[in-house]
Amino acid sequence: MGCENTGECHIGSEGDIVTCRKVIRNVATAAGFGMTDVTRIVTAVSELARNVYVHAESTGMMRWNILQQPGKVGIELIFEDQGKGIADIDQAMEAGFTTANSMGMGLSGVKRLMDEMLISSELGVGTTVRVVKWGRIK
Amino acid sequence: MDGNSLSVIKLKNILLVTVPDDPGDDTIQELQNKVLNAIEKYESKGLILDISNVNILDSFFARTISETTQMVALMGGQTVIAGMQPAVAITATELGLHLGKAISTLDVDKALDIFTDNFKTV
Ligand SMILES: Nc1ncnc2c1ncn2[C@@H]1O[C@H](COP(=O)(O)OP(=O)(O)OP(=O)(O)O)[C@@H](O)[C@H]1O
Ligand SMILES: [Mg+2]
Repeated sequence: MGCENTGECHIGSEGDIVTCRKVIRNVATAAGFGMTDVTRIVTAVSELARNVYVHAESTGMMRWNILQQPGKVGIELIFEDQGKGIADIDQAMEAGFTTANSMGMGLSGVKRLMDEMLISSELGVGTTVRVVKWGRIK
Repeated sequence: MDGNSLSVIKLKNILLVTVPDDPGDDTIQELQNKVLNAIEKYESKGLILDISNVNILDSFFARTISETTQMVALMGGQTVIAGMQPAVAITATELGLHLGKAISTLDVDKALDIFTDNFKTV
């Protein structure tokens, strides 16, 4: 019953947000992450999957990979959509910035929860958000 | 979905809601509707949200709790959030979330104490 080292989930409905969270909770736990890191990772998934669902105005995908390095293990999550794109990425990363009358806490919060974060986006083409969390191998 | 598992329990003039471990947006929305209807129906003075099973609290959940707290306050009630898991508290703080005017307690027992103490002083 071991978990695969890579996989993907479709993001097309509100229910898919919960599915993404459940999948990554299992994957991160199996990879050896502790309770607090699993919660950080799953919360980041929730924010980024919801951003695809709410903002992209198109469907998207979440891909995950387990990364192995000497003494440490990582989980890489890539959220990709072919949606409307982000006009100004620096502005979108600011706490409180939102185009949806929400709290604008998602992207700035995810940056604090994860170890690496990279956004690339082109208007009318789509958005890719890549995040990584590292943990020590016990 | 898991939406049907959500029940609002009336304890004297308080409402108790136990939130499932991984609530979807529909469940959270349903929670708000059920709570507001029940407050009106029973004229409750307080709401206890037992989140001790909850293992993820994201910005959508936080926003809805904070909104619900405000609506409950407008209807004359106080909201108490009971039993947040340590990992959830750490993550929520790092994410920068606030639960608005809700009071937090370690567990449901302590939440009940708040209401009993309040009633004594009134
Ligand atoms: N996948 C995406 N496609 C298009 N725009 C996006 C995407 N993700 C984020 N954005 C833009 O970046 C802004 C900031 O996102 P962020 O998650 O920080 O806040 P929010 O989603 O508006 O509010 P919150 O997450 O607090 O509910 C969004 O309002 C939106 O304009
Ligand atoms: Mg967001």
